[in-house]
Parts: sequence; structure tokens; C-alpha cells
Amino acid sequence: MDYKTEVVIIGGGATGAGIARDLALRGIPSILVERGDFTSGASGRNQGLLHSGARYAVYDPEAARECVAENRILRHIAPHCIEPTGGLFVSLPEDGFEFRGEFIRACENAGIETVSLSPREALALEPGINPLLIGAVQVPDGAIDPFTLVVENIRDAESRGAVVFTHTEATGFLRDGDGVAGVVVRDLLEKKEFTISASWVINAAGAWANRILALAGLSIPMSLSKGSMLITNTRLSQRVLNRCRPPASGDIIVPNSTVSILGTTSLRVDAVESFEVLPEEAAFLVYELSLLVPEIKSERFIRAYAGVRPLIRSGETDDDRSLSRGFSLIDHQKENGISGLVTIAGGKLITCRLMAEKTVDFLCEKMGLRAPCTTAEQRLPGAGIGRSLQDRLLHMRREIPAARQEILCDCELVPRDEVEAVLKEGKVRELRDILHRTRIAKGTCQGGFCVYRLLGMLNELRRERNRGDSNEILMDFLEERWRGIRPILWGTALKEEELIESIYKGLFNLSGELSGGQEAGERGRR
Amino acid sequence: MINKCEKIPDEARMPPRFADACVRCANCMAVCPVSRVTPTFPGPKQAGPGAQRFRLPSEASVDDWITLCTGCKLCDTVCPSGVPISRMNLLAKAKYLREQGRKPRDWVLARSDLYGESASRLATVVNPLMKNTVIRKILDSVLEIDARRELPSYERQTFHRWFRARPVAAGGFTQGRVAYFHGCFVDTNETDVGKAVVALLESQGLEVALPPQNCCGLPRLGIGDFRGAREMGARNIASLLPVVRDGVDVVFSSTSCGMMLRHDYSQILGLAGAEELAEHLFDVSEYLLSLYDDKKITPAFLPVKVKAAYFAPCHLRAMNIGLPALELLGLVPGLDVQSVDADCCGLGGLYGFKKENCAVAEAIGGDLAKAVARIKPDIVITDCEGCRMQIRHLTGLKVVHPVQLLRDSLKPLPVTG
Amino acid sequence: MKRYDLIVIGAGLAGLMAARTAVEMGARVLIAGGGMGALTLFGNTIDVLGRIPPGEDIAEGMSGFIDSFPEHPYARTGWEGVEKALDAFQELFPPPYHFSGVTRGNCLLPTGAGTMRPTFLIPATMASGVGMMPASTLVVGFRGFKDFQAETVSLHLRCRGAVIPFPRYRMGGMTAPAIARLMEDHSFVERLGEEIYQRMEGERFIGLPAFFGLREPVAAMKTLEAATGARVFEISILPPSIPGMRIYNRFHERLLQRGTAFLMGTPVSEAIVKDGRCRGIIVKNAPLGAGYQADRFILATGRFLGGGLWAGIERIVEPLFHVPVAQPSRRGEWFKGRFFDPEAHPVSQAGVETAADLRPLNEKGGIFLENLWAAGSILAHHQSIEEKSREGIDIATGYMAARQALAS
Repeated sequence: MDYKTEVVIIGGGATGAGIARDLALRGIPSILVERGDFTSGASGRNQGLLHSGARYAVYDPEAARECVAENRILRHIAPHCIEPTGGLFVSLPEDGFEFRGEFIRACENAGIETVSLSPREALALEPGINPLLIGAVQVPDGAIDPFTLVVENIRDAESRGAVVFTHTEATGFLRDGDGVAGVVVRDLLEKKEFTISASWVINAAGAWANRILALAGLSIPMSLSKGSMLITNTRLSQRVLNRCRPPASGDIIVPNSTVSILGTTSLRVDAVESFEVLPEEAAFLVYELSLLVPEIKSERFIRAYAGVRPLIRSGETDDDRSLSRGFSLIDHQKENGISGLVTIAGGKLITCRLMAEKTVDFLCEKMGLRAPCTTAEQRLPGAGIGRSLQDRLLHMRREIPAARQEILCDCELVPRDEVEAVLKEGKVRELRDILHRTRIAKGTCQGGFCVYRLLGMLNELRRERNRGDSNEILMDFLEERWRGIRPILWGTALKEEELIESIYKGLFNLSGELSGGQEAGERGRR
Repeated sequence: MINKCEKIPDEARMPPRFADACVRCANCMAVCPVSRVTPTFPGPKQAGPGAQRFRLPSEASVDDWITLCTGCKLCDTVCPSGVPISRMNLLAKAKYLREQGRKPRDWVLARSDLYGESASRLATVVNPLMKNTVIRKILDSVLEIDARRELPSYERQTFHRWFRARPVAAGGFTQGRVAYFHGCFVDTNETDVGKAVVALLESQGLEVALPPQNCCGLPRLGIGDFRGAREMGARNIASLLPVVRDGVDVVFSSTSCGMMLRHDYSQILGLAGAEELAEHLFDVSEYLLSLYDDKKITPAFLPVKVKAAYFAPCHLRAMNIGLPALELLGLVPGLDVQSVDADCCGLGGLYGFKKENCAVAEAIGGDLAKAVARIKPDIVITDCEGCRMQIRHLTGLKVVHPVQLLRDSLKPLPVTG
Repeated sequence: MKRYDLIVIGAGLAGLMAARTAVEMGARVLIAGGGMGALTLFGNTIDVLGRIPPGEDIAEGMSGFIDSFPEHPYARTGWEGVEKALDAFQELFPPPYHFSGVTRGNCLLPTGAGTMRPTFLIPATMASGVGMMPASTLVVGFRGFKDFQAETVSLHLRCRGAVIPFPRYRMGGMTAPAIARLMEDHSFVERLGEEIYQRMEGERFIGLPAFFGLREPVAAMKTLEAATGARVFEISILPPSIPGMRIYNRFHERLLQRGTAFLMGTPVSEAIVKDGRCRGIIVKNAPLGAGYQADRFILATGRFLGGGLWAGIERIVEPLFHVPVAQPSRRGEWFKGRFFDPEAHPVSQAGVETAADLRPLNEKGGIFLENLWAAGSILAHHQSIEEKSREGIDIATGYMAARQALAS
């Protein structure tokens, strides 16, 4: 079946989802296509830092001001995606105070509130910090859950008429003379092709933007920078911790729910899918951040992951950090004479709403529509619903054992009914879609116990029956899990790995060559 | 004497990395006596390191099931990663109870040392009252002390009064002096255990001293009252430390008091002097056995034709000193003693008296009772007063402390002088 | 200080087997375990070498294997050593809960993932799983018990599956130890049998999660068989393992009877070594440390999970004695790129190298300590998970280490 709409959005990251919502709020029909699931690119592979703007204040005051404004808006429209932890910029003896003065002035200029703390005051707030610190500056940084943010943008858009296809890849453009008149797409799970005609195509594919443009023979100057991060088993600090020095690699720790995320590295890469974290990157992050929080040396990690940041090149420079994190809206009619195609690229997670606003403003202007943007005022549908750590513990309440659900994921306390609710929404097409929408497999054992249980439950509901072998899905999952944990396998994590290998390769013999059915069948024939 | 960090609430002093060593292996789930009998307790893996990741020091506790942990410490003994699960639970329980407010009942039960002495003096009045069904109903409904459970009766003469009143023992103590920490229960409710300890030690040439002592503080710690527990501990240390500095070792006959004195004073309460004291504290059987192993004593026992079941209390196992009482009992000729194949008696000190826990305690104890019944013993032997109470309650059998049986089978001392 | 003939460090299957062997030889033994490990997590059946195809004679397969892998722990014991050790193990398990092989070779048993898994000795409660015919098998799982997914098993075994509520207990969060306890109650098992019977469609085999109680699992099985008229068998589940606990309990009970001392909970924190001999160990239970002396020591502390090996960021060490650990030269080489690589991760070959008599070697290839032997999975050059040899290595090397130690 082919479709027709006003706007096609390519990419289900923070930007694409924001655009879908913005369009829907202004009454413009749209279809979003995403080749994987939402947030499978940089939107889901970042540190989850809700920038106050302080980090950019010195070198990119404009970006800092944008952060200040968007930070305020996100706290209003998506409070449930945000943990207003506050943050500290910590000066170690080797950092000196030189940068700090400049930093405080720049924050002031950008409208970012700062409080200077003595080492003692800082240690009272965060006892884990290196006690040798010489001072700290408190800023309103926070933590953000990008998965919920994006999924809620999509939910809101869908409730207002937008259509979304996940696991659907754009494979070509529909052409109309010099212009683009829609896209050819392929459902990667059903392996079916169809077309979507539209007046406008928005390329919001993030790091994959040039891959989309290549379908029209175009490209934009963009460089790719890989950033690797490590996740700790327990939360190291209550606040975001930064080094108070010119931004560099390995200088931020962001608390996020039950864990903390250490980041990042910055490596120029050529391939978009450069998601492997090298052992030396892991070792670097541990060393570098243990200067900030000494306990990190003996910390237990549960996963490493990497994201690829698309950086729009404005001039020639080799240092990725000094490239503007600002975004570019490229009208390909103006640039290349191809009408109906717009690329929105670059930017940050925290400015995704702003990027969407600017993009849709541009479209409205071209369409001659006068529809004001309301995404800064209208709250997201789930806003106000808390899912704090406490709420999750409450699943185990003593009074109601009879009504209590099986807790599928022991580490992150995800009960069976939470998965059932996700399934009811009807958006789930494969295992990873469930994992993206719940906290299953995000805890200590990284899915070592719960994914087997989840697949059993799906088998029970007959969901995976027609999709074939659930053990293959389990094995694929374990392979993906392996990529995440391999870089951090030492100490306790390696102990746990022996446990997981003993279950899946040993006890369950998943690596054996024959499945039970085949083997038993063969015996039947003998 | 009191720890410097007193101003910080104790439960906030939980080292944040406690949960990290856990590899989610579930060995603790295999032995937890509570989660085995009730799904209302999520088990050590979940209640300990699992829930720990969700507890923020700044937030109020919501984990109401934490009060179901009996504190038996069996989870600690099987963990291959050294996770201090029971300590994590104790701290979480303390925080929960502090926020929720403790029940009057908890205060009453945890401070039995305050009225034990008076109750003993009035034993003839108190004991019938405690068995009076009307009074038990009142206790049950007002204080939520379960009426199904028999309360221990008081003895008219406390152990320490008996000790002071008894004729001074004859000399001839070739093995030197040893001090005895008897604990509250021996003092007011089971004085014969104390008398047996004295007789046994003296029979082996040890002079017994009784330094001033208080409740060890475990009942207070059990309801999360760190301040109260620490007060008790500080007083006991102040009294016992000079004794051990004089070169006198201290023995205890209650494994729970012993666990508290030896390990929890330093490891949980952080009391000054506790580590030094611990070096000289011994379980009474452990002490005698080591003298025997070093060939310093050669106790002679008369043959005893008895079939006995020996149950190793949880806190004895948590001390990780093996089963010294069982080894000593092996020296009694004719005594057929078999180890009971069960994990925990379920009483958990005061735990089982609390109305809301009684069913759990009975279920855990029921398994123990079955294991005892399989042995078909004449008597049951165990080192802990809680276990003795529970096993008596559930089996109706005679239950004694190992020292009582050992004393009873001693060859009479040769008459000297 | 106490003095023993032998101190076994580690209370896993290798340590228990060593202690049992030594006790049978009349020795005074102390077991110092740091906790429970693989046995109570994954112990179900007795694997010897799963890579030998079913139908092939295991003695032949083993001799070929030993020829190809001369550094493998089995090369130290030889097949005869394995056989003798297995006999000694089986002696501990008289009927009804006995372990037996089906032929002279491996057989295949269904698992909790619905795969078939090769193994050598099978407990009585799992025996019917060997002859199971998928077309006439019903696999039953339970609502509220998440560690066994019957529908996954049935999907892959291509048999019928059912998920039913427990009689009397309709709650989430049931654990295997909790159910194992209920399974000791005859009336509960009878009710369970009736519930299953009502859902049968003429099946001749019933597969259930491995939770038939700790004490009398065969009785529970017989009750279920009487109620259903079918052959009933247990299938392995996620840890902890009830069949593994049965093995542990049996050893524990027998060793206690024979006067073996058990120290459980706090790992051995220090070994006292002097003049090339181990003199004693210190078990630290804070704030105290207790010393124990012996003439001989067996190191059976397991791999990473059991704490026998510890991986720092760059090096793997044996933390107690600091015995040299054979290992890949750097962390980058510890693992394969894929989890399910056909070859085992090189790190799984890491471990303690020993002389022919199982005494660990020092860097120069000499004997590390005169009176120290090693047994179980801490030994180098096996891939027990992949080759399915965990219990076989534990039993055979535990047995041999004890005999070697006491012969000295």
C-alpha cells in the first residue's frame, strides 16, 4: 500500500520526533519513517546530560544561551523525563583557577546561575569527589531520559494524526522534475517496499544524513565523531560532575536513575555505525574520571557504549570539540536546486525542540501557512507521571502479594504488566522495541536473566510464534549485549560474565549445533 | 567511646558500593528461610543489593517488606562475592523503622533487660499473668505480640544473684581465670544454662568471673535503634575491656549475644575498643574445644545413652567457627548426636513474637520441626536461646544448651581435701 | 591452633569431592569455603565431556581427547582416574536419587531453553527426559514462576506446552527454593498432579521445572507419575539449581557425619607460607582472623565466579597464594569478537598450571609449594562451559588431588 501526506520525516531520533510533534500541533499531516526503532542513533547514545549551557558558556556563548532557554522549556513540558540534579564544575589542583574565573563570567553573561563552593562545601554535597579539589561551581545541570522524551513526542504526534513507521528504511526519493515528491521505503521486517508521496521531505537522519542525501546525489560537509561512555552499576553521585577546565575528553559524570554514565571520548570516524568501544577507551575513561572521583578505579561497570555525533563543518578544523554544536537547516532548493527537500542536521539533544520549531517555521513560511509553534507551552502527554526509583520499589509492596506481578527484570524492577502495557500500544515489532520502551535489561545483569523470561512471556502470548525461533532472538540479544559489556569485562563484571556464559552456553547449550526439536526429530527418525 | 559520626543517621552511613559486588547469581535465594516460605519477602538478592540501587539516602523508604528479614545472616554465608547482604538489610530496616515510627511493642520487646530483673523478683506473679489468656489477648491486640506464642517465664532468682550467693568455689584452678558473659536470657529466664557453664568451666580447672554486664543490645539493633544498641555496647565494652586487658578471656553461651559482641560492635556499631575486645571473646564450646585441642584439658564424661539432635543456630554459623559444640558432644561416650538438616528456626529473636511475623516464623520453624522429627531424638541441643524456645514451642521436646548436657554427663569431681 | 591432615579451600564440587575422598582415607579434614558457587547455581547432571557425540563410547572419546589436549586437566587424571572418581561420586547417591548413565556414552537431555544438551550421568528425576518423544510430551510451566518458560521449551522441542497456576498459591514471585519446599508436601504434589492431568491430551511424558524438592525428589516424581499416568522428568532452570543443592546437601550431610569441619561464608583471606610449604590459613571474619593449620592444602576455589581467579583491568591473578596464572598476554586478547564464537574465549583457558600430580607450578615450571594441590575449574587449559566438562573435571581432579595429597 502506498501513502500520501504533506511532510515525510526521515529519522526517529529526537529531532525527527520533535518535528513530527510540532507539525501535528500545527495541524500539518506527516509520516515519519525510521529504519530501526526510535532513538537508535545519537539520540539514544549520549550521556543523558540536560545541559544548563555551562559547558558551552566559554567557547560557544550562543549555544549556551540556547541551552538555557531549552532547559527551561524542557523542565516545563517534560518534567518526567528530567531529573533536576544540579551539577558541579570541579577544579582539581592541576586545573588551577584560571579557567574557573572565565567560566563564571561566561555563565553570568549567558544567564546561567552559578554558586561558588569551597572544597568543603562541595564534599558535603558529593562525598565521592577527589578530596584534593580546590573548589567547585554549582550550575543547574540535570539528567534527561532521551528514550522517554522521544517516545512521548511520538505518542503525542500520533494522537494528533501523525503516522509512524519503524523498521522502515528510506531507499530512494520519488522525483518530480528537479524536485523531490516523496520517498520510496522498505519495511525491513516484512521485507516489503512502498512509497510515500509528500510535498516535503525532511531529512532528520542525524549521522546518516549524508546516506539519505546520497539517494539524491547530494551531500553536506559533515564529520562524524565517536564518543564512548561507560555505565556504572550504582549511582556514583547525586549531581552531574564536570571538570572545571576547557572541555576535553573524559570529564563528565552524569547520574541517571540507578546508574551513572562516564563520558566521553572523542574520536573522528568514517563509518556511521562505529559503535565499538575499544578496551583502551574504557581504560582511558576509568583513569581520567578517577581523577575526579577516585572510587572509579574500583568501580563496577555494567556496560560501555558509543554514539556517533554528526558535526556540521562550518570551517576547516580538526578538533571536533571546537566545532559548533549548533545545528544547520539546509534548504536543498537554495543549495542544490532540488525542491521539496530539507536537511536538519547537527545540534544537541537538548535543542531538539528548537530544531523542530525552526524547521517547521521554515516549512510554514514556504507553504504560506501562519501557524505558530506551541511545543514550548504544550506539555507532553505523560508529563506529571512519576516513575522515580521509589515508585519502582513500590512494585514489591508487602501488602498485596496476591496481586503482585512477576517482576521480569529483577535488576531494574520491571513488572510483567509494564511489558503488557507496552505490547498493548501495538507499536512493538521486535524485542528491541520492548527494550527501548522499558528498563528491561538496563540493570546490573544487562538482560542476563530477564530477556529469557521476556521471550518466554512473548511465546506464551504467541507474539513471537510466527517470527520463528525465539532462541535465535535470544542469541542475537546476547550478541548485542556482548558488544556492550566486552570492553568493561574485568573484576566483578567478569565474574558475572562467567555466570551468564554458564547459563546460556552451558546450562541451556544455546551454542550447541542442533536445536532440541531438530535433535529430537532426528531421534524420532532413527 | 561513642563513634564520632554519631550525628549522621546510621542508616545513611551505608557504603554506597555495597551492591556492586553482587553478580546476581541467586545463591542467597537458595538458602533464605524467609523467601522460601513467603513470597511477600522478595529474597536477599532483591531486598539487599537489588533494592539498594533504588534507595536514595535523601528519599523516604518504601520497602516495607524489609522488616520481614529475620537477620539470620545465612545469605552472607553462601554469597560467593562477599556482599554484606544482612547488614544492608539491617540498615535499610533501621531507616524504614525510623521513618515509619517504631511500634510501642518494639520498644517493649527490645528493652526486656530493663524489666527482666523486676520480673524475676515477681516471677510468681508475672509468670501466671503471662500465661493468662485475657492478658495475652490484650497484649495481642494492643501491643501486637502474638497470642499463639508462649512468652518465656521468669525465674525467681536471677543467674547473677545465684552466682554471687553461691559458696565460693574451692581452689585448684589450674587453667586460670575466665570471665562469663551470660546475656539477659540466661540471667532471668534460663539460669540453668549459666549454672552449667560455671560448673563445666570449673570442672576443667577454670575459675569463673562475672564482670558487670548489660544486655548486649541486639534486640535494640534489631528494631534499628542504633543509639540504644550503642549505649549498651559502650557499657559492656567499658566493663569487659579492663577484664581482657588483665589477660582474662571472656566466654559467652548465647551465640546471638556473642555474634553481637564479637562482630557487630565493631562492624556495625563502630564502637571503640570493640576490636580489641573481640580478640578475647569466645563461644564457650569453642573455648573448651581449643583447650582440648591444645591438650590443656581432658574432660572425662560418663556414658550417656541418649539420642540427640543438634541444631546449629544461624548466628553460630555466621561466626564461621565450625560447630565446636558438636565436636565437644562427640567426646561424650554413648551419645548419639545427629546434626539437624535445617537452616533456621525462624524465631529471629523477637521477630517471631511480633504478630505480623508470626506466621512466617511458624512456617520456617515448621520445617525445622520436621527435620528434628526425622531424627526421632530424645532431646534437642542448640546453643541459642531463641532456637531453644522455638524448638520447644514447635516440638514439645526437651531442648538444652550443649553445656547442660556436657555438665550432666561430667564424671563427678574427685573429692579432694 | 587447630591442626588438620588436609585443608580444602573451596566448597564447590571439586572441594567437596576432595574432602570426601580424603575423609574416606581416614584423614581429618577442614573445608574452608568462601560461599557457594557454580554447584548450587548450575549443577544438575554430571557432565564429563559433552563434545563426544552421543552413541560414541566415552572411554574411546576421552582417550582421543586427551591425546589432542595434553595440557587439559583430564590429561592429568586420565580416563581411568575419571572413572574411579565417578564411581566414588555415585556411591554417595544410592537409589532412589541416584545418578546413572544411559549407555557408555553421552545422552541428550532437554533444557529450559528447549535445546538438547549432552551430558553423562543423570539423576533419577531427569532420566525420563532422555527417552522423551516430543509428539507425546507436555511441558508444564507455572504462572508466577519466571525462571522456567514452558512455552519457550515447547516451541523449541516441538512439543505441547502449558502454563498453569500453582494449586493453592496464586502469587507472583515464587522462587524455585520456595516451590521445592512445597514439593515436600505430599498433598500439594497430589493436587499438582491432578491439575496437570486435567490439561493432558494423552501425552506419555511430562516435563516440569527442576524443583521436585530437596529431600525426596523421587517420591514427588512418583506421586506425579501416579497422578498423570505419564513419565515425569525435571528440566533445568535458571539459577539457583535445586538439583545442585541436593548434591551439596548430600556431601555436607555425609561430611559432617564423618567429623569434617566446615567453614562457610568468609573466604580464606591469607595463606601462611614458609620455606616452600603452606603452614596454615587465616579466615578473616571481621574483626577477627582465625588460623588453621594442616599438613596439606587443596586449592579448589573455582574461577572468576567462585573467586579463585580475579581479573584486574590488565592481569588475571590467583588472589590467595598468588600462584602464577596462565593467561593471554593482554586484555585485548581475552575475548572473541562474538559471544557465540565457535571457539571459546581465550580467557576461559586461563588458570593454574600444574605438574602431573596436580601441584601448581611456579614461573620457572617448578613446584610452587610442596604441599599445595589444585583441583576443579581453577585449573588452566579447559573450556568447561563449552566442552561441557564442568562436573567431570571437578570430580576427577578433586578425587585425584586428595589422593595425591594424602599419599605424600
